[in-house]
Amino acid sequence: MTPLEVVGLNKAYPAFRLTDVSFALEKGKITGFIGRNGAGKSTTIKSLFNLVHPDSGEIRFFGLDYEGHEREIKQRVGYVSGAFAYYGKKKLRAITSVTKAFYSNWDDAAYKDCLHRFALDENKTPEQLSAGMKVKYALALALSHGAELLILDEPTSGLDPVSREDLLELFLDLCDAGKTIFFSTHITSDLDKCADRIVYIQNGRIVADDTLEGFVDAYRLVQADPKKLTQEQTEKLIGPRRAKHGVTALIRAQDADSFARPSEKADLEQIMVHLEKEEAE
Amino acid sequence: MKNLLKKELKLALHPTAPLFLALSAMLMIPNYPYLVAFFYTGLGVFFTCLLGRENDDIGYTLLLPVSKRDVVRARFTVVAALQLLQMLIAAPFAALRQLLVPEGNLAGLDANVALFGFAFVLYGGFNLIFFSTYYKDVRCVGASFILSSVWVFLWIGAVEACTHVVPYMRACIDTPDPAHLTEKLVILAVGAAVYALLTVAAYRRAMRLFEKQDL
Repeated sequence: MTPLEVVGLNKAYPAFRLTDVSFALEKGKITGFIGRNGAGKSTTIKSLFNLVHPDSGEIRFFGLDYEGHEREIKQRVGYVSGAFAYYGKKKLRAITSVTKAFYSNWDDAAYKDCLHRFALDENKTPEQLSAGMKVKYALALALSHGAELLILDEPTSGLDPVSREDLLELFLDLCDAGKTIFFSTHITSDLDKCADRIVYIQNGRIVADDTLEGFVDAYRLVQADPKKLTQEQTEKLIGPRRAKHGVTALIRAQDADSFARPSEKADLEQIMVHLEKEEAE
Repeated sequence: MKNLLKKELKLALHPTAPLFLALSAMLMIPNYPYLVAFFYTGLGVFFTCLLGRENDDIGYTLLLPVSKRDVVRARFTVVAALQLLQMLIAAPFAALRQLLVPEGNLAGLDANVALFGFAFVLYGGFNLIFFSTYYKDVRCVGASFILSSVWVFLWIGAVEACTHVVPYMRACIDTPDPAHLTEKLVILAVGAAVYALLTVAAYRRAMRLFEKQDL
């Protein structure tokens, strides 16, 4: 049973629209949810928890409709945001003591284990924690109530490279332990290292939903002098961007043979950068 | 619900909200518009909602295994408890005021039974206006408080003015207890009923508005 399935989600705002957003998560996998700022990642995530009311569409966690099973679903889902800002002046001990009472599966031993593993001091307040430690505290809460699905909203934003690597390793460990992770971010290099699948949202529409390899292998990166390209080659460039010498652009993998210069494999960031440029044009 | 109330008390409640209950002692001031003492409970509610916005209390709470309706119910329970608690705490001060300073209150209504009836109406109006605005958009706490404060001070001004200019109020209601006790008890009962009606109306409206709100 898929931990999360979203079908035909629509939400219209005066200046923005989510259109027919559909995707499903695979159990025990990390699914990266990528898109530039304002593409609709946060609106989609808020819709999952009914914080934003979709105009239409279906959201099912573990095969259950959110409406009518909200409490049950929330017992099994953990939400972790990089912008953790709850009760900045309260001690973690106080926040935990309140939070744990809501969860029937709360595991004190697992919580203590997380505190030890993440080197969290319960006598500190969220204000006294670094951005990385705040994410770890939110994770500790989610893991201690036995969340099977973790929804991570920009968890690595604002973290230094070492802390980011630490978290990515942790996410991989969690997947090995059977947890499913939905990882929303615009720092795509994080997903290059840990994602199994990619869901790419652009202007409120899902434009790709594939395995990481499938998504990345669909494109190649070329550098070229536009004056030396034929009309046919120019038409195959996706989102060309000016570079020091000529332009860099994406091309479809199947078009690679059409270019004399060898193309390179693109990473997620390069793919997103060029696809966004193409969309903007 | 028990867990949400615990959350309200341990994490969400602004420290001034219970402290302001001590301002019930303002009924001991010899000459003062005593209804003002009941304004401070509303101020504590405002501080709590303001603190909640800064702490993203709503964001935290709605990710817990509770519904939006539960969140509104818990907040109303705490607010009603504070308001009723202030009534209970203020009552002995009102009695003491009349015992120690038998002369009437030159600034306005005496600290008598009727005062509590008028205070109930003050609370009911505050609840209806504050929460109808607050749960329409939980980020606009200031607007909710300004609108409800306009009501509170208009009501205080009207009641206190009546004690000076309306002969019935001056002769019958603005008197030390137990004089005209029946009339004052009627005002207390009507005030309590108005409070209950307005608070229930505010609660239903708040639930409807909050349910519809995109956060």
